[in-house]
Formats: sequence, C-alpha cells, structure tokens
Amino acid sequence: MLELNSRFLIGSYKKAVEVESRTGNNPLEELLSVMFDSNMIDGILSSRIEGEFSVPFLVVKGDRVEVPSLNRFFGSVALLKKAIQKYRLSRIAVVAPSCAIDGLNKTQYYGIGCNWVKTAVALKVGILCTGSLTGKALTAEVLHLTGKEKRIKRFFYDGGLFYQTEEGELIPVNLSVHHHYINAACRYCLNLSAKGTDITYFPLKEENRAVFIVRSERGWRVVASVQKERPELFRFRRLKKEDLEGIVSLLREKALLNIDDILERVELGLPVPKWNDNKLRKFYRIWNAVEDYNFEEEVF
Amino acid sequence: MTFHRVSFEDDDLKLKIGFIHFSSCSGCQVAFLDMFEDAVEIFDTVELVYSNLLTKRKEIPYMDVAFVEGAFCAEDPHHVKLIKELSEKAGMVIAIGGCAAFGGMRRFSCGSQMPQPSHQTFIPLTEIESIKRKVKFAIPGCPPNPSLLYNFFLAFLERNDDFLLPFEFIAQSRDASGFDLIKEVVNKGFCVGCGTCSTACPSRAISFKDVCGKPNFDADLCVRCGSCLAACPQSFKPYPQPVYT
Repeated sequence: MLELNSRFLIGSYKKAVEVESRTGNNPLEELLSVMFDSNMIDGILSSRIEGEFSVPFLVVKGDRVEVPSLNRFFGSVALLKKAIQKYRLSRIAVVAPSCAIDGLNKTQYYGIGCNWVKTAVALKVGILCTGSLTGKALTAEVLHLTGKEKRIKRFFYDGGLFYQTEEGELIPVNLSVHHHYINAACRYCLNLSAKGTDITYFPLKEENRAVFIVRSERGWRVVASVQKERPELFRFRRLKKEDLEGIVSLLREKALLNIDDILERVELGLPVPKWNDNKLRKFYRIWNAVEDYNFEEEVF
Repeated sequence: MTFHRVSFEDDDLKLKIGFIHFSSCSGCQVAFLDMFEDAVEIFDTVELVYSNLLTKRKEIPYMDVAFVEGAFCAEDPHHVKLIKELSEKAGMVIAIGGCAAFGGMRRFSCGSQMPQPSHQTFIPLTEIESIKRKVKFAIPGCPPNPSLLYNFFLAFLERNDDFLLPFEFIAQSRDASGFDLIKEVVNKGFCVGCGTCSTACPSRAISFKDVCGKPNFDADLCVRCGSCLAACPQSFKPYPQPVYT
C-alpha cells in the first residue's frame, strides 16, 4: 500500500537547505558560475526560453550560465552527444526535471545512444516540476486563470505554484487548471521531485532565493566546495522536515491528480509503449494492494 | 587411498563465444573492438572461438553464444550454409545491431545491384523461424555503443536479469525505427520531450520540434536501428531503480 508521504513524494535526501544569493542573482546560476570558474564543471546542459519556445541550451562559457525560469524544459538531453563528442566536455552539469534526468540516467546505466556518458556527467540538478508546458499552453493557461493574456517571466513555489508576470504581478496557479494544460506525459509522472539526481532545486518567491534538496554525497560535496570557494556569495539555512511540509502538500495534490489519470488510463485499457513492461498497470496493482509494498524497488 | 590428479585446461571452463557476420558493414564487431581495454577484460573471461575479423579459423566450431551481426540474405548460398550451421552449432544467439535485430539499413535495399546483383532478400535474424527460438537478446544501434556492449557483456556474464530483460523484449520485437518511436511513445501520449531519442539517433533522423516540444522524425534519414526507442526513458526504465552516484 502506498502512502503519499514525504518519503514517497520527495524521496530520500541528505539535507535540505534554503540558499540565498547575496548578489541578487538566481542561486543556482550563481552556484554553477562558481563551479565553472573553479573548473569543477566544463559545461552545462539545460534549456532556455527563446520567444515562446523552449530550446535546448549548452553552456560552454562561465559567463553565459542560464537556468530555465519557466516550467518549459524540452529537449535538453538532445545536446548530450554534441557536448561529449564535439566539445569533448567531461565534467558536465545537467539541469533538468526528472523526465530528462531519467533519459540521462538510462543512457548512463545501459549505455544506449551516446558513448562515455557514464563518466562525463559531474552534477545532476533536478528541477522540482509540476508539469512542463509549451509556450502556447502557458498562454492558454494564463488566459484561463486570469481572463487576460499576460507575459510570464518566471515561476516559483511559495506554499503553492505561482507565476510572476513581466510587470511583477503574481498569479497563483490552481493545480487542477495547470494539470489540464501540461504535457500529456507529465500527467503520468510520479517523480515530481526528481529523485534520481544529486540536487533537487526549486525557486522561491524572491529571485535570489531557492531550496536545494541535496540527495547524494556528490551533491553535498559540490555545495560544500562552492561555499568554501566563495563564502561571500551565499547564505545557507538548513531546513527541517517541517519546513518542507508546504512543498510536500503541493506535491501530494499534484500526485493525486496524476494518480487519477494513471488509474483511468489503466481502466480504459489505453495502450502503452511495447517495451514498457506495462509500468502503469504495475502501479495500478500496487496502488490497489492492501499489503505493504517497497515502492523504492519499483520504477513507475 | 590414491589420489588421481585431474587435469583440465582452463579454457574448458570458459564461455565459448563467436562473432558471426551476415550482410552488414562489420561496424558492430568494430564497435566491440572499440571497447579497447574493456574488451581485453572481457576476453580474459570468455574464449573467442570464431570471428571473421579476429580469428583465423575457417570452420565454425560449437559455441555457447553466437553474437550475430547483419541481415540474412536468402540468395547468398554462403548465408544459407551459415544459418544452418548457426542453428546447429550455437547454443544461444544474440543479435547485435539494427540489421540483425530489425533489418536496419537492409530494409531499404531492393537488391539486384553490383557487386552482387543476385542478392535481393534481406531478413533480420529475429524473423527467421529456424533460428528465432535461439535469439534470446537483441542489442539495438547502428552500431551499438561500445559502452552498451560492455555493459551488456558484464550483465550477461553476471546473469543480471534486470539489465537483460529489456533486450529480451527487443528480441521479440520485429520492428523498431523512428516510426515506432512516434507510434509507440509520441502517439500514445508518453513523450516528455527530454530529447534522449535525438541524442541516440546515429543518423540525425530525429531533431527537436520547438513548437510542440516533441521529436521531429525525418524518415529519409532513419536507418531503422531502434536506438531511439531503446533510449527513450518511456519505453523501458532500469528495473529495479539503480543508484546513481
């Protein structure tokens, strides 16, 4: 039997910290810039917004570090081969939500697709994601929420999901409305907090504040080295379990919407990819089982 | 009480493997050699009994596992003889690469061209009845990555069923190309737009469509190797979840 507790929703982690950048920049961008300067990484695989599109983006210079400011993360892994084989990068940081990290993890585990990925990735930063949107879908969602067309500058979590317009207006996002507009596959995602990563990142209301959920030894080592390298740039505050309650309840609300869709899909008998081993049906069985289940052994 | 000294050669205990070449570019065998020192590590634990590139043997001996590359050509008497020998002498067959597993480039061949104008039929091993039951695993790619071959070898020697399971599915599948990626993942609403298929494609047949955040497939460039569908995180995932550090 599955419980939608923090162990399931956030997963296991070492420490969670709230990071404030003293320069006023995005803390993750600042962290990656410091890593660039101190040769801890030699490239960043991410995506950025160009007009209304999200395009994969490979950063090879420290002064061009950019982290996506909207939940539009498409195609970041597409540049992996270019990064490794053309630019010969060997210490890449990847900034992406769980779905892209899944692709990367799979490439590392099996070795399908792109050679030498196993040793070329220095850091995996997962973005806590409640669903990815295309430019058109975001426009339609904002129209649905506010009745007006507005240009959105960034998203953040502050007890709920919010959009900030270019004029500075904050729009609280109703998750069931958001669920309607997100990418179809995001409706079946149960790894909203990007569990297979070194650090899970999510932005807060102030642009220079964010939360890092550090999961691996490597992630913790990175945070410690950056703090040692440039102590004047950051202020860290360790978060207790209670401090994450807000984000856990947000994830729970979204996970329930996703679970509804998974159960409905299985009951309707909609097809799944042929090599998928029917993961959704597996989840359906576990969700309806009365006995205790070790969900960490499963991949949905 | 007398003790009899039992002597046997080390090689008797080793798994006998061979590389069989059908109609292909030999790229899969070259990919195997691209493992460099990892290949040496593999050859320490197995005995290579036959390979058209690496051994001088003319006759195919008995082998426990035959790694087969290339598609079968029905008009080639050498292939006909080879397939008969393979069904008799190989304990298990592993299809390496797109040509042996799904037809690969050979799916586009209409034959009747120089230097072998008589060659017209090209069939992947997974579709040949006499040998199908022996094909336990298929490794996608054109050619498969050296790191994939190495990981597969290790999993095979360690009998890591979790790792091998997807390759068993792939062996049972007759087709995999960019069309299947669209049909199986995008059309069924499972594409997350991560771009892994695009990076896996050896022929740049899959690009990325910024408008919809989904892959854009160019059928003219696809070589039907199945890498895209195999690499897609929605087709199969590591099971159970491995720990990445």
